[in-house]
Amino acid sequence: MPGRDAIAGLVVTAASLFLFWLTLGLERNPLVPIGPAFYPRIVLGITALFGLALCVRGWLARRAPRQPGAPLNYPAVAIQFAAFALYVLALPPLGFRIATFAYVAAANLLLSPPRRPAHWLRAAALGAATAAATYYAFEVYLLVLLPRGSWTDF
Amino acid sequence: MFELLWRAILDIAHWQYLLPLVIGTFVGIIGGALPGVTITMTVIIVLPFTFGLDPLQGLAAMTGVYVGGSAGGLISATLLGIPGTPSSIATTFDGHPMARKGEAGRALWLGVWASLFGGLIGGVFLIGATAPLAAIALEFGPWEFFSLFILALSMVAGLVGSSLLKGLLSGLIGMVVTVLGTDPVLGAPRLTLGLETIEGGIPFLPVLIGVFAFAQIMGEVERAGGAVKAGEAAARAMSLAASQVAVVWDILSRPFLLVWSSFVGLLIGVLPAIGGSAANMMAYDQAKKFSRRPEKFGSGIPEGVIASESANNANVGGSLVTIMAFGIPGDAVTAVMLGALTVHGIQSGPLFISQHSKIAYGIFAAYLVAHPIMVALVGLSARFMLRVVTVPKAALFPVVLVLCAIGAFALNNTMGNVYILLAFGVLGYAMVKCGIPLAPFILGVILGDQIEVNLIRAIMTDPNPWLFITHPISGLLLAASVASMAFALWQHHRMKRKLAETGGEEADF
Repeated sequence: MPGRDAIAGLVVTAASLFLFWLTLGLERNPLVPIGPAFYPRIVLGITALFGLALCVRGWLARRAPRQPGAPLNYPAVAIQFAAFALYVLALPPLGFRIATFAYVAAANLLLSPPRRPAHWLRAAALGAATAAATYYAFEVYLLVLLPRGSWTDF
Repeated sequence: MFELLWRAILDIAHWQYLLPLVIGTFVGIIGGALPGVTITMTVIIVLPFTFGLDPLQGLAAMTGVYVGGSAGGLISATLLGIPGTPSSIATTFDGHPMARKGEAGRALWLGVWASLFGGLIGGVFLIGATAPLAAIALEFGPWEFFSLFILALSMVAGLVGSSLLKGLLSGLIGMVVTVLGTDPVLGAPRLTLGLETIEGGIPFLPVLIGVFAFAQIMGEVERAGGAVKAGEAAARAMSLAASQVAVVWDILSRPFLLVWSSFVGLLIGVLPAIGGSAANMMAYDQAKKFSRRPEKFGSGIPEGVIASESANNANVGGSLVTIMAFGIPGDAVTAVMLGALTVHGIQSGPLFISQHSKIAYGIFAAYLVAHPIMVALVGLSARFMLRVVTVPKAALFPVVLVLCAIGAFALNNTMGNVYILLAFGVLGYAMVKCGIPLAPFILGVILGDQIEVNLIRAIMTDPNPWLFITHPISGLLLAASVASMAFALWQHHRMKRKLAETGGEEADF
């Protein structure tokens, strides 16, 4: 089975070659001697070569033995990425304050699962405090506009 | 120069600038002291708050974070035995044993005062070297700039991480990011992949925030918990009292150690994107090599703390020099500062000090004034910090990510930048998991456009490619670039041989 290096190298090579192929469709401006594809082709060509080198090295290298220690919690990482992605998607319809309250409370509960009813309250308080404090600091004090909800107008 | 500096110090002493500087330094100390929160993340958190301030207020706050963070790491390193930031790892080696021997106050204050002296030595270099280096850079044509940026990238690729190939690939991926979206020469859309969001190019701040914040936070999440609370109760019971005169004498009676460690820190700071993590380790290693009692290092001796802390604060001065003279960020923190400058429409680089002298000297002044503020704040709040450093990460991380989202959104009030933040957060985490270092990637993103512009400019002026070698400075810079990669290869070979001898894991190339 290929290691991470081989997969990473393969992904980089494939992406670079795909982008290189896209540069073939870029039109040259007749007034400028060097077209917009000149530099990208150099960079993408070299990147594809280096990606290929990493891929080959990854295939040829013997896999390093697994390091002893506590197992890494990848599901927690995936859940946190998913929670943040939902937050980002929720910002335009729900607005900053509601989305932030929900995200911070949920992420807190996911990172530190509740064992007592007080933990739910603590998470809700953290969400509310974060939403309120950041809203007042940015919108009211620093005059930095934050997303307003298209569904909630809040 | 001194008149401008004096005027800038008086300006910074005005509450309008002093308040952001004090708050920034305080936040920096907290961020530095919190294990798992680096200075980069702290400065990323502070960034959106600076959008509503004037440029110098914002930069004063960030300079405060940088100085405070570089010193803050020593609090948890000394008292808890957990480095608050990578730049205080070496402080743990002797600081914590000193604390365990009942010298917690002495160890802490040695670190604080060494940070001050190291930082001030860095300040002298920063103020003295920036203008002459910028004047040299003003003589550069497109050939020299192209070669300088290539040198910066190759040095970072070679010096960061364990694999030259991965370092170079990381820098190249960063450069690929800059070819997407727009052609910097004509400003026409190019390789937009049908995404409206990137039609104007991919802004580097959401990319920077995304890769660093997510890589770090998710790295902590996957370890689920961590041993942050270890030793907390014992640390709270420690006495932090120490004779300040004795501590200062401890440091000043070792002038060679102080100056040499600061010099090492400065040098590492000037090298692009390496940062305080390497500075404190290298200074510690140097101090051990020059010491008459190297066997005592690690057992709790002042030399170890002085070397590490003076180096990581001097490092800040060195990092600021490269960004102010050449527009090349010395590390991720200065990369964020570069972003803050561009948000305010200010271009860093050789013309920065002459075109924006008020801001440039304001940064110098903020850097100098931040050091005594840092000493005062640590003195007032060290015990409080011990409580802060045990704040649950389950509460901290979501709040940090919300601030990252605000920082990305507030750049131009579009959700597009928040999507970029998330996308590059995933990419940054994936890169870390594949062992691809982030520093060359970020430098590639920052310098990619400039490399293209200068390459095209050079070719349009004269299509002869040999000019990159025959122009003396350009040729010298390219030769240095090749030499740095050869050095990195040699270093990796040596490491591989050493590991083979000790039966360790193989190093990559």
